[in-house]
Amino acid sequence: MNVELSELVRRFGRTQAVAGVSLRAGPGVFGLLGPNGAGKTSLLRMMATVLAPSSGHMELLGRDPGEHAQRREIRRRLGYLPQNLGYYPGFTVTEFVEYFALLKDMPPGQVPRAVATAVERVGLGDRRRSKLKSLSGGMLRRVGIAQAIVNDPELLLLDEPTAGLDPEQRMGFRALLREMGERATVMVSTHLVEDVGAACTEVALMNQGSVVFYGTPGELTARGEGSGAAGDAPLERGYSAVLAEARS
Amino acid sequence: MNEVNVPPDVDLGRVWTGVAARVWCRTPGRAERLATRLLRSPGLARALVVTPSLLLGWVIATCVVLIAGIAATRGTGTPWVALLDPALAAAGIAYAYGPGIDPAWELSQSMAVSDRMVLLARALAVFGLNAGLGLIASTVSGTAAAVTFGWLVPMTAVCALALAAATLARSANVGVAAGMAGWAITVLAGRVAAGTVNVVVTPQFLVLPYLAFAACCGALVLYATRIPGGAR
Repeated sequence: MNVELSELVRRFGRTQAVAGVSLRAGPGVFGLLGPNGAGKTSLLRMMATVLAPSSGHMELLGRDPGEHAQRREIRRRLGYLPQNLGYYPGFTVTEFVEYFALLKDMPPGQVPRAVATAVERVGLGDRRRSKLKSLSGGMLRRVGIAQAIVNDPELLLLDEPTAGLDPEQRMGFRALLREMGERATVMVSTHLVEDVGAACTEVALMNQGSVVFYGTPGELTARGEGSGAAGDAPLERGYSAVLAEARS
Repeated sequence: MNEVNVPPDVDLGRVWTGVAARVWCRTPGRAERLATRLLRSPGLARALVVTPSLLLGWVIATCVVLIAGIAATRGTGTPWVALLDPALAAAGIAYAYGPGIDPAWELSQSMAVSDRMVLLARALAVFGLNAGLGLIASTVSGTAAAVTFGWLVPMTAVCALALAAATLARSANVGVAAGMAGWAITVLAGRVAAGTVNVVVTPQFLVLPYLAFAACCGALVLYATRIPGGAR
């Protein structure tokens, strides 16, 4: 298992953002669904080792992120796209991706090919020399995805990766996710149900810090059948049905 | 258009990536190569050479201020270089790195090369550069050796204050303001007490308090850059 979470809790003052989440995930694309404030981002930040849990146990890629040397090993094999990706306006696309490839401790000899591969995979080859300040929001998101995949991570954490992407780019991105999920554990936080249906092999639905559903997209769809829950698509109706049940 | 027959065992995508890697490859500059050798980390070296307060424009601006300080010192007899350089170093360090300066701070925190190492390398480099430039300027201005070396200790304290304020407040401007204000208060208080600024920058009896203050500020920086909610 690449991800093993046990009773993970994260508090911010009196607010409990993550309330005892337990999860196990191996290779595949894992969707984290839920309304705003459900705790998805806090959970991903803990897995990205930028936020420590208040309590509970976490093992990533078979290592303990609480221990310095093991955390560094995890970070070498990690790809992370934060919800709000800051960028350096004066950097070009390749400079930005290369910068983070080096900070991920990649061997310098492998960096140029890895950068070229990542930039091509997100379809920004023709904009490689463009300064980041000249790119659109969707292109910046793709630059963020490129830096996340540049080290061919074993654990890829993406927080709202499709925000700002047009439909064609989203389809291309889902194909990329499926490809990455063949070897790595890909965790995608989103509130776009159609992304989950198209790309994810498993899905967890979070509400108020807790996982209220865990299963396949098909199983989530089945929960909405005959429930009379709101939604334009079967998966959306499943999502609504589970949330309504959790809130009742 | 002529069609090109590609053998089935040739992956054109892979070939193109190889070509792109060669063509797009950036050659590190001399400073980056030197930093890589010294730090034994290409990532840390790259992070160092893109420090905002080590970029050419910033260094030129620092030199211009110090040259003006040399002229003022020679003209008035007041050690202006010694008064200006700690303030310049404090501003440089506040703009070196941190949550309020690095737009990709959250991402940087998830990297194998730790953000604390980047912060340490950048702060030391900025301090070293400003100390070196200040010493040269102080020597050129003909200031007494006691004054020349005397301001290095208060400069350490002022820089630590600026760094601590910048990381705690998550704002480089707050760091600059704290550093400048701390230094101005120190200089003016010394002037009021002793009647001359020379005494302020060479106070032997204040060396330990200055260093203790710098150590406290260092502890605050460690606190401000920890992983929230857990020990590192």
